[in-house]
Amino acid sequence: MKANLGFFFLAVFSVAVWAGWDWPYIAKLMPIYVVAIPGLILASVQLYRDATDWEGRQRGKGGGIEMDEVYEVKLDKATEIRRTVNFFAWFIGGALGIWLFGIVIALPVLVSLYAFVDGKERWYTSLAIGACTYLIVWGFFEYMLEARWPPGVLFR
Amino acid sequence: MEISLFDAAAKGFLNLLQFKIFFALLMGVGVGTFTAVAPQGLGIPLVYAIALPVVIRWEPLTGIAFLIGASSVSAICAAYLPILFGIPGGSGSQATVLDGYPMGKRGEGRRALGASFMAGGMGCLIGTLTLALAVPATRPLIYLMGSPELFVVMLWGLSMVAVLAGRRPIKGLIAAAFGLLIAMIGQQAQSGVMRFVFDEPYLLDGISISIIALALFGIPSALDLALTKLGVEQQPVPLRGSLFDGVRDTLREWWLVIRCSFLGVWVGIVPGLGSQVVDWLAYGHAAQTCKGARETFGKGDVRGVIAPESANDAKDGGDLITTLLLGFPQGVSTALFIVALLAWGYLPGPEMVKKNIDVVYSVIWIQGMAGIIGTLIGFVLSTQLAKLAEVRYTFMVPTLFLFILMGAFSVHRDPLDLVAVVAFGILGYFMRRFAYPRPALILGLVLGDLMEKYLYRSMAAYGFTWLTRPAVIVLLILSAVSFIFTLRGKLKSASEYPSTLGGAMGKAEDEG
Repeated sequence: MKANLGFFFLAVFSVAVWAGWDWPYIAKLMPIYVVAIPGLILASVQLYRDATDWEGRQRGKGGGIEMDEVYEVKLDKATEIRRTVNFFAWFIGGALGIWLFGIVIALPVLVSLYAFVDGKERWYTSLAIGACTYLIVWGFFEYMLEARWPPGVLFR
Repeated sequence: MEISLFDAAAKGFLNLLQFKIFFALLMGVGVGTFTAVAPQGLGIPLVYAIALPVVIRWEPLTGIAFLIGASSVSAICAAYLPILFGIPGGSGSQATVLDGYPMGKRGEGRRALGASFMAGGMGCLIGTLTLALAVPATRPLIYLMGSPELFVVMLWGLSMVAVLAGRRPIKGLIAAAFGLLIAMIGQQAQSGVMRFVFDEPYLLDGISISIIALALFGIPSALDLALTKLGVEQQPVPLRGSLFDGVRDTLREWWLVIRCSFLGVWVGIVPGLGSQVVDWLAYGHAAQTCKGARETFGKGDVRGVIAPESANDAKDGGDLITTLLLGFPQGVSTALFIVALLAWGYLPGPEMVKKNIDVVYSVIWIQGMAGIIGTLIGFVLSTQLAKLAEVRYTFMVPTLFLFILMGAFSVHRDPLDLVAVVAFGILGYFMRRFAYPRPALILGLVLGDLMEKYLYRSMAAYGFTWLTRPAVIVLLILSAVSFIFTLRGKLKSASEYPSTLGGAMGKAEDEG
C-alpha cells in the first residue's frame, strides 16, 4: 500500500513529462524541467526506499520531527477499516446527493441521517440538526446572501 | 510619494476604525475560538480553506480582520483539548499534553488554562511587536530584491520546508513538487499554452486551491473524529481549580515566557519550522533550563504548559514577517492567507512593502488586537468554552461534511468540484496515512504561480545571466550551506539522539 502511493506520484510525474515534452521552452521550463523531472527522480528513489523498507529500519532512531499530523489511530485494524470505509461512504453519498437532488435538499438530509444512523442520536435531535443545516444552506446563503444553488440533475 | 513608516502605522490603525472591520475581527475571533476548542482541534488551515471562497469577495481589510482574528485566537485557545482530553488541540499544542493533562487530572485544569491564556497572550504580543519592528529593520534589504532573488528565496524556502521539517525529506520534496505541478494546470499567462488540461474544460482555470485545501485537511480531520468517536467513547476530565493561579504562575515565569516567545518568533521566520516543531522546541528548552525540570516535567509542571503555549502564539508574528515582507508563507494558513491577499490585488513581498505598507501595518494592528481579545475571551468564557470541547462527534462530523461540501461546491457550483473534493480527500487520507506532508503540497500549490512568474521575468530580463547577480549568488550559497547543514544535522541527530535538539524533540515525541 505504501508503495502504491509512490507509484501514484511516479505515474503523475511521468504523465507530466510525457504531456509537456513538446511544449515551447517557456511553457515547459517550470513544470517539466524544474518540477516534473526532479519529481520523477525523487519518486523513483522513494519507491526504492518503500521496496527495501528503508523507513522501517530508520524507525526509533529519532531525529527530526513530523511536519504534518502523525497518523496515530489506536484502533484494531478491522474497526479502523470499517469506520474509514463507512466515513467515505457517507461523504461520497453526500456528494452524489448534491449532484442528484441539489445542495438545499441533500445536505440537510445527509446531516440528519448521519446523526441518526451513524451517531445514534435521537430522531428529534437529528431532525433539529437537519433543520439548522437547511437554515444555513437555504436561509443564510440562498435567501439572505442570494447565492443561487443549482438544482440537482433530477429536478432540471 | 512614499509615506513614512510612522504615517503608515497611523494610517494602518485608522483603516481599522470601521464597525464592519471590528465586527469581522470579532467574528474571526469567535470562529477561531470555536475551532481551537472544538473536538479534535479542527485547525486554522481548515477554517481558512472554508472561509476563503467567502472572504475574498469582501473588502480586503474586512477579510484580513476575519482571517487574522481567527488564526491569532486559535493559538491562544488551543490548550483546551490537551488539558481536558489529553489530545493535541492544534498542531502547536502537542507538547502541552505532557504537563497540561496531568494537571487537569489532578484537579488543576483551570490553573493550566489560566497559564496557557496568559502565556499565549504575552507570546502573541511579543510576536506582534517583533513583526512591527521587523518592517523598518528589513525594508532597505527588501527593496534590493528583484525577481531573480525572490525566485531563489522561494525555491530555497520550499526545499527547506520539505527537507527541514520532517523525518522523510524525500516525501516532503515529492509533495512540494506535486503541489507545484497542480499549480501549473491551466493556461499559462506568458505563452497561452494549455498545460495539463487534457481537453477537459473544468481544468482550463486550474483546480481551486480552496477545494484542494478543504479536501486535504477537512476530510482527514472529520475522519479522525469518526474513527475516535470523540465525546462518545472518549470523555474529558472535569475542569477544576482557579484561572488566576495560572496567571500568577505565568507572571512569576516571565523570563521563560520571553525566551520561549522569541524562540517562537525565530521558528516562525525559519522556513520549514512550523507549528509542529515550535511547541516541542520550547518544551525541550524549558526542560533543559528550568530548575528541577527533570523531576517534575511530564508530571504536571505548569512551566511545561507556559513554555509551549507562549512560543506557539509568538510564532504567528514570525510567520507574518516572511509572509508579508518576502511573500513566502511558512505554513498552510499563511499560504492560504497569501492566496487571499493575491485575490484582493496585493502581491505580498517587496511590492506590498513598497505600495501597500499601510495594509501591512493594518495586519500588525489586527494581529495585536486579536491577541488581546482572544486572551480576554479565554479568561471570561473559560467554563463555557470547556463545554464546547465536549461536543460529540455526531454533531461535528456532519458539520464538517456541511462546510466541506458546501465550501467546495460554492467555488464554481460545478458537480466536478465535488469529484475534485472527493478525489483530493482520498489523496489527503493516504498522504497522511503514509506520511507525505500535506503542508508541503499546499505551499507548492500556492507558490507555483509566483515562482513561475519570477522565473519567467528573470529569464526574460537577463537570460541565464540572472544566476550571476551578486545577491542571487549570495542567496544560492546561503541556500546550499543551510541545505547541507540541515541534512547533516538530521543525520547526526538520528545517530546521536537524544544529545542534539532534534534528538531531544524526537525523544519527547516518543515519550509523549
